[in-house]
Order: sequence, then structure tokens, then C-alpha cells
Amino acid sequence: MNRRFWPALTIGLPTVFIGYLFLYPLGRILWISLSGVGFVEVFESARFRQAAWFTLWQAIVSTALTLIAALPLTWAISRFSFRGREAIRALVTVPFALPTVVVGAAFFALGGQGIAAILAAHVFFNLAVVVRTVGGVWSRIDPRVDEAAAILGASPLRRFRAITLPLLTPALLSASAIVFLFCFTSFGTVLILGGSRLRTLEVEIYQQAVNFLDLGTAGALAVIQLATVVVALMISARLQSRATAFTVSSESDLPPPRARQKAAVAAVVVATLAALAAPLIVLVTRSFGQGGSGWSALIADEGVNAVRTLPAIRNSLVFAAVTAVIAVVIGGLAAAALARRRQGAAWFDTILMLPLGTSAVTIGFGFLVALDRPIDLRGTLLLVPLAHAVVAIPFVVRVTLPLMRSIRRDLREAAAVLGASPARVWREIDLPIVARALAVGAGFAAIISLGEFGATSFIARPSSATVPTVIFQLLGRPGSASFASAMALSVVLAGLTALIILTVDRLRAGTTGTF
Amino acid sequence: MLDVEDVTVRFGEKTALDRVSLTIGTEEIVGLLGPSGSGKSTLLRVIAGLEPPQAGKVSFDGVDLAATPVYERRFGLMFQSYALFPHMTVAANVGFGLRMQQLSDEQVEARVGEALAWVDLGDLAIRKVDQLSGGEQQRVALARTLAPWPRLVMLDEPVGSLDRQLRKRLVGDIGRLLKEQRTSGIYVTHDHEEAAAISDRVAVMRDGRVVQIAPYPELIAHPADSWVASFVGV
Repeated sequence: MNRRFWPALTIGLPTVFIGYLFLYPLGRILWISLSGVGFVEVFESARFRQAAWFTLWQAIVSTALTLIAALPLTWAISRFSFRGREAIRALVTVPFALPTVVVGAAFFALGGQGIAAILAAHVFFNLAVVVRTVGGVWSRIDPRVDEAAAILGASPLRRFRAITLPLLTPALLSASAIVFLFCFTSFGTVLILGGSRLRTLEVEIYQQAVNFLDLGTAGALAVIQLATVVVALMISARLQSRATAFTVSSESDLPPPRARQKAAVAAVVVATLAALAAPLIVLVTRSFGQGGSGWSALIADEGVNAVRTLPAIRNSLVFAAVTAVIAVVIGGLAAAALARRRQGAAWFDTILMLPLGTSAVTIGFGFLVALDRPIDLRGTLLLVPLAHAVVAIPFVVRVTLPLMRSIRRDLREAAAVLGASPARVWREIDLPIVARALAVGAGFAAIISLGEFGATSFIARPSSATVPTVIFQLLGRPGSASFASAMALSVVLAGLTALIILTVDRLRAGTTGTF
Repeated sequence: MLDVEDVTVRFGEKTALDRVSLTIGTEEIVGLLGPSGSGKSTLLRVIAGLEPPQAGKVSFDGVDLAATPVYERRFGLMFQSYALFPHMTVAANVGFGLRMQQLSDEQVEARVGEALAWVDLGDLAIRKVDQLSGGEQQRVALARTLAPWPRLVMLDEPVGSLDRQLRKRLVGDIGRLLKEQRTSGIYVTHDHEEAAAISDRVAVMRDGRVVQIAPYPELIAHPADSWVASFVGV
């Protein structure tokens, strides 16, 4: 193999992939938005103002509510050691990994549509972000700092304000930024729970493009949405760089809760877990409908209200597998290039991470308007897994890169001196060491693909319908049979997701060895 | 025969190698002696092909190596850190270079057995390398470097991180092995006794330049300047 070929492949293939499947569609959207009705008209329309205002305020309120709901549990599991602490931390993460459509369906079952359901679903989904980000720092604050302040005469409230809060501020800011971003770009949940009145910009893009076939307006909305997200990310990066991150000790020996604290910790844990479990329990019970109707219809595969479910399950599984393969190949190559290069690594990294800051709806919309050239990909079954791969690749890169970076440079050099070409070095040294990380990446990609709804809702045709799109369809049909089937499918999807998470978790446990 | 001519390497502002020239004859062992930061390791990396020089040229048996990538030079380099492959056994480490030469499994196995016998590690063949002591790792690295019949062997402070007792014995072993294998070699060290024990000639480096090349006794007798004199402890 030519020695220029391998670097060209590791950088070139991901660049071409992201370029054609992400940057080019984005360019098409921009073009369409400029040749459409025009931004001024969009800005002045009442529909836009409603959607923009709703997007903003629900994101702010959702973020605030998530912080409030998460802090008691964060306190309980990061200030005290008790049995089951790790298990609780893992359980809290479950909602975050659930597909948005499943979360939407669960809250639909719990309380129907409306703003309360949307806010509750956002809190449910994002709780783990706060618990994990803030808890990670909180559990590393040395308890003696607090004790020292107490000896110096500070009351508990005073100590929280003067010691704990400043130390937690960077983590709180970064958690808030992430939650805000997720809520700002929320699509599946709002589409299901918002009814006809409550729309985020994300939902509005979908309505304009799919229901009104007004691509110009949809394009303008996508551009506005993207610009807002970029600005928000820049502001949050700015804020976070200003907030000093404190070097805190390694996770210190936490004390067990004392008598009065014990009651508080128990109450917080039970209340939070119960609140998180409720929607899922309702999901399962409602799936049985009247006399097991959801499941029997699912198994019989006769189609519920003309929506067939078994082909969707098969599609979802196949797409997840194909997505995993594509994302691991492209993401793995990209991570290999990033781990080695210093020059130009920054821009390459940025290009790879761009899809992360872009909403899935925009990606799907871009596919719809751009991928008819040079060959019309839009009619092929490959379209859906390709879109899922675009969403998943940044995650695969993030998961594999640390391990690839941990491979010492001299190992690769030693292999090269012993006669291994760059491709051979990758196969003999990098690949065996990162194989596990790639497997974890494949799991992530499969989970993303299984739950992906934003992009899929644009590009899936009846023949390529996935479980999330079918759940959405069923929720929109009248009758208790459709509803029960939607619940049953949600349970299936949640179960599949959980299965992959458990497998990935076991693989991750084995990646701790340092090379 | 290795020929290094006027090689210059700069890292930003810093000149790591300043017009270095050096010739190593067939079956000759040259000791490369100098304080840390004098450019010894960089010179090895340039010869190996891991570091492209900004100027100058490296050739072997009259062939300019500028267009030959690292993995086609068939040189051996033993890293200071050993750089053993953590996910492979001792035997797989030693056999790595042989497998790169497309030898059959039997040929690889036979040669690995030979190489492990040189360094007395026959019984450890199927061990993972992270279960070895420092001295054992050093010997695996040495066997891995010598097994694929390199045209030139470069050893970068091969015993640097071991204790004194072990060092003395291993330096003797390495010298004997290099003679037996009849390879040319460069032995990098900052210890002049080691250099004296192992090399036919010693090159003294300072601040990226070779300041003197001579057989050790001559170096002691006629140091080029007062710095060399004090460095070799005359």
C-alpha cells in the first residue's frame, strides 16, 4: 500500500462522507432559504414568532425545572456513601438513553398533550445530565473544606452559598447549557405532546416542509435555528471559560448519612426514582390495553389501522446494524487520523463535530433537498442508515479517540521500524487496542439509530418506516387499538435500547486498562 | 555502510541537529555519547526515518534513503522506553518484524526461538509483556530488534532505566550479541564506560553537533577540546 494512501484514506473518507452527507445538504438548505420567500417575511410571520417564543421560553423553563428536580438527588448521591448508590446513578441515566418518541409516548399515556407534559418529559429526559455532570464535581469536593468553614462560624446555608455553590458553578453552567440545547432543539417529544398549537422551531421546520411543502420557509427556519444554536454554543463556551474550573480532590471517602440526613436521603432517592419510574410503568400497563390488544396486534402483524408493525421492527434492527457498521468505519478512521495528526487537527475535529450541533431535523431536511445528485439516493433503503450515521459519527469519534490517543507514539514507531506500513500499523497496533472502544462506539451508533426520529421522519418512506416513525403514526390515529400498539412498540424499543446499553456497559467496564 | 551527511533538524527555533555527519562501517559499532538533549535520540530517529531532516542526507550502501519510508529501511531501533506491544505475548513481540517480512509461520517460530534463546527468555515466550520485570522487558526489546536481521541496529540507551548491577551484565551481553550477529550498530548512551565497553569508535555529541569521533582510547588520550575532556572525565 502506498504510504500516502493511508493518511489520505483516514482523513479523506470521513471528510468526503461528512462533506457530501452533511455540509453539502446544509449548503442546499441555505440556497433554498435564500431563494424562498425571504427571511424578512419569515421573521414577520405570526407562526414564526409563536414558535420562536415558545422554543425559547420552554427551553429556559425546562432547564430551570430540570436543575431544581435534579439537585436533591445530586446532593444525596454525591455527598453520602450508601448501598446502592452506584445502581441509582445508573438507573437515573436510563431515561436519557431512551428514544425521544418513547418518552413522548410515555408522557402522552400519563397525561395527554399540553405544556405540562412537554416540560415534564424534558425534565425526565435531562435529569441524568445534571446528576452526572454536577454530581461528578460535587462528590469530589473535600468534606473538610465544608467542615473548616463550619468551624470558622458559617451556618449551613451560608456554607452552601459561600463554598459549595461557587465550586459547583462551572458544572452547573455546563449542565444547564447542555440541557438548554437539548430542550431548544427538542423535536419528537414536542411533536407528540404539543398538539396543534405548541411548536418548537424544530417542529415548525417539519410542519412547513412536510405538511405545507413550503421548502423555502422551512429552509429559512433551519438556517435561523442553526445560527441560534451556534451563537448559544459560543456564549456558553465563553461563560464556561470564564468560570474557573477548580481542581478538586479525587472522589473522597464520603461519609454515610447520619440519622437525620438518612431520612432526607431516603426521601429524595425514593421520590426521584418513583417519579422517573411512573411514566415507564404507565407505558407498560397501557400497552396491554383492553385484554392484551397492543401485543396481540403486534404479534399478529395484521396491521393496526393500516400501519404494519413487524416490518418496522425489522427495518429498525437492520438500519441499526448498518448504521453501526458505517459509523464505526468512518468514525474509527477519523479518530485514527485525529489521534495521529497535530497539524490541521483542529479544523478536522470541528468538521467532524458539526453534526452534533445540528438538529436531526435539519439533517433529514438536508437529505431530502440535496441527495438527488449525483445519483438519487433518496429512493434507496440506504438513505435512513446514512442519516443515522451522520448523527452517530461524532459520538463514535468521541468514544474511540481517548483510547486511540492513549496508544503511545513509540509503539507505532517501533512497529514501523520493524517493517509495518501505516495501514499495517493500524491493523496490528491500533485496531487490537481500540477494538473494544470501537465495539462501544458501534453500540452507541445502534442506540442512536434505534431511537432516531428527527431525521427519519423526513426521509423514511412507507417501505423504510422505523419503529419510532410507526409509534408516531399510531399515536396520531384514533382508537384504543392503535394507542395500545404504540405503547407496546415503545416498550419493545425501550427494551432493545436497554439491552444494547447493558452490553455496551459491560464492554466499557473492560476498557479501563491503560496502554 | 551507513552514511550521514550534513544532517540538520530544527524544531521551531531550536536546532536539534546541526550539520551532523557520521559514517558507520560494515559490522562496526559506534557509540554515541553525549549529555541529554545533545541530539543523540534525534539522530537515531533521522536515520530510522521517523524524523525527516530539513537538510542533509542519509544513505545506506550508497543508496539515498530520502524516498524510503521507515518501514522499508530494514533497520532495527530499540527504544529507550522499549515500546513493547502491550496486547501481544513475548513471542508475538519478537516475531513482529519477521511477520512483516512475509515469512512462513514455521520460519517465524524458528527465528523467534533462536532470538529468545540469545536473551535467555525461552520459557517466557507465551507471557504477556506487562507481566515482565524491567530487565526481562529490556531483553524482549533487544530480541525483537535483532530478530528480523536488521541491516543496522540502533540502541537508544538500552540499559538506561535498569539498576547498576544488571546494567553491567547486560551491556556485556549486548556487545557479545552484536558481534555474533555481525551487524553494524549505533549505541546511544550518556555513560562513557558503557560506550567504551561496547563500541569500536565513539562519537561525542554536544548541542546538536558531533564534536569528536575516535576509538575510545584515542578519545581519552587526545580529547578534541576541554569540554570533551571533562565530559569523558579525563
